[in-house]
Amino acid sequence: MLKKHPLFTFIVFGAVLFLLSNRVDELRVFQGATVAIYVIAIASIILLTGYSGQVSLGHGALLAIGGYAAALSRNEWGAPVWLTFCIAVLAAALGGYLLGLAAARLSGPYLAGTTLALAIGLPSIANQFTVLGGEQGLLFDIGVPPTFLGEDFTQYKWFFWIASLAALIAIYWLRNVMNSRYGRSWKAVRGNDVAAELAGINVGRNKVLAFTVSAGLAGLAGALLAMTISTVSPGAFPLALSFSLATGAVLSGVTTLGGVMIGAVTLVAIPEIVDTVVSRFESSESVANNLPGLLVSTLLILTVLFVPNGPVEQMRARHEKRAKR
Amino acid sequence: MIRTNRRKLALTSAVLAVAAMTASSLPAQAASDPGLTSTTIKLGITVPLTGIASPGYNKIPGAMKAYFDYVNANGGVNGRKITLVVKDDQYIPTTAVAKANELILKDKVFALVGTLGTASTKAISASTQLAKRGIPSLFVNTGFSGFADKKAYPTTFSILPSYQMEAKIMGKFLKDKYADKKLALIYQDDDFGRDALAGFKQAGITFGTYIPYASGSQSLPATGAGWISKLKASGAEVTVLFGVSSASTAALANAYAAQFKTQWVLGSVGGDATTIAATNKAYVPLLYGAKGFSFAPAPTDATDEYIKLFQSIYATAQPTQTFDNNVVAGMSNAFVAVQALQAAGSNLTRAGLIKTIEAKGASFANPFLTPLGYSATSHVGATGYWIGTYDPTGALKPDGGKYTVYTTDSGAGPVVESTYKRPAMPAKGLPN
Repeated sequence: MLKKHPLFTFIVFGAVLFLLSNRVDELRVFQGATVAIYVIAIASIILLTGYSGQVSLGHGALLAIGGYAAALSRNEWGAPVWLTFCIAVLAAALGGYLLGLAAARLSGPYLAGTTLALAIGLPSIANQFTVLGGEQGLLFDIGVPPTFLGEDFTQYKWFFWIASLAALIAIYWLRNVMNSRYGRSWKAVRGNDVAAELAGINVGRNKVLAFTVSAGLAGLAGALLAMTISTVSPGAFPLALSFSLATGAVLSGVTTLGGVMIGAVTLVAIPEIVDTVVSRFESSESVANNLPGLLVSTLLILTVLFVPNGPVEQMRARHEKRAKR
Repeated sequence: MIRTNRRKLALTSAVLAVAAMTASSLPAQAASDPGLTSTTIKLGITVPLTGIASPGYNKIPGAMKAYFDYVNANGGVNGRKITLVVKDDQYIPTTAVAKANELILKDKVFALVGTLGTASTKAISASTQLAKRGIPSLFVNTGFSGFADKKAYPTTFSILPSYQMEAKIMGKFLKDKYADKKLALIYQDDDFGRDALAGFKQAGITFGTYIPYASGSQSLPATGAGWISKLKASGAEVTVLFGVSSASTAALANAYAAQFKTQWVLGSVGGDATTIAATNKAYVPLLYGAKGFSFAPAPTDATDEYIKLFQSIYATAQPTQTFDNNVVAGMSNAFVAVQALQAAGSNLTRAGLIKTIEAKGASFANPFLTPLGYSATSHVGATGYWIGTYDPTGALKPDGGKYTVYTTDSGAGPVVESTYKRPAMPAKGLPN
């Protein structure tokens, strides 16, 4: 179905989400919005790492660029909401392009180190310029939902609709890009850059392009993240965010977009599951506090050990093996 | 005949459907606000329990719980027992919003208490729409003067004096005590520091040397490299540090290493011995002799009736933890919250609670040595500071052996020595 009529599948999926958003309570709607944002951010990492072979431990910084760009364009120029998201994508893509120029000359641990430094350093720039609001950050208010949606239409449902629509469009577009000439070139570069170059692919340019596209997606995720918390501040983009996104990408399987939901849902669900379990058993505070981190790390290790390419890729491989017999 | 029947059926079901829809859309909380039963009140708090900003702060929920449990064991508030739901936000605004949402939507708390950190507090307030939903956010732990703005944050009450108040009082202290000395200021170059600069300007203080530092966040340690050589070059005799604990740690440690002597004056945020000890216990004695500011009685002052009570409650509830100013902060916060809930009466509502604090908040019994500033126009709690000197264990002792309290406002008002006499503690520290 997905292979033959991808657009149709995405529309059906969107309709299901729409119906779901009217059925579940508001906390789930809020969490749904968070999942949608993680989907975009993780897809951006998968594109970069899985498809073009470059590692980024600093995606939080690119999200921050997007978040701040959106908030600034809204607060300073009163840009309409849709435009703030476009500006966020462009600003982060520009940042990614510049970073990509440096990244194309680096690889492996050096690239990881560079992006890591960026994640640590960039958010604190906000403290240097008054216009960025310092430690307290800036408000980012997208306004109330349009009145024709009715009075019962909550703010979080509005956030959920915007975030889900953005995620659906982003993933659909990304899927098409992956199947285009660019996607194939990126995969070729990842596989073997010498062979790719011999085949006439400009390796450097393709790496920069992948970085730019990935950063644009991260910027979109950043703007959406800022929307759900209605503010941007340096603290919202900590190193922990960059790491959990990388973790999400590994759980989803870095080489395929198909599992992107897995990582996103895991990141949102684990803390809550732990909360529920812990509240049932009277356990010590330090155990309860550190359990989510422990669980996610354990999952990460298990994934790397047993399904290094992610559960979706693993299932496909098994399926193909069986088909061959 | 069949047709009329069918029409009747359609009509009836339509009426029924409309009736059902109206009934289900009636406000569910007509009976009472969320988080309340006739025997319980549910409150929620998000604080950093893990992560780099957690040392010190992570003791606040335990301290609050200890006092609430004490009140519950003695009959509760107007017959209701208080439960406190605690969430860990790691000092990350995004997480703080997610956790606040769980508190409001899943745990259905009556009110938030003791939210910590300016960025988190701001994000929670905006994203969860506290004002629109009328959810009280009691006694947030931040000195950012913005939360005093009743229009922007109509349901939020702060407990700390504003940073500007602190700088004004510090300014007067410097003028009175060190007028002929060479002064220097190390401050955080953001809104936090700018609040302070505004306060010093109002106090008419100019420093010989200004050393701004860019802190990435509370969680990033400042280097302090170069500060001491600048101070040495300027011959600073008195150095004010208006920054976070990591900055004071860096300054004190570097000064010690360089054998540089100056009279340190530390702002309340950066002068917390517990937080400094979390970096390195060996740094705590470096606080010895520095001047510091506080508005609550010293945690070591067992002659204070509140401290005496809090110490005994905490020793029973958390026997393995040390009693420090974070514990005093948490228990004081819980104490004022209980006073507010008590004053709001047995017919408790969210709107009623907010109105009560505005109307009677200034007269609530509380452990602080400064008057509370709550009124229909102000949502700021404590309104002043006393000045003391750190002893070798990092405890702040009041100068002259007694608390001399100065009060002021966040505007152009003067700094005056307070004549406020704290009312006696209610019997056994219970609501009355």
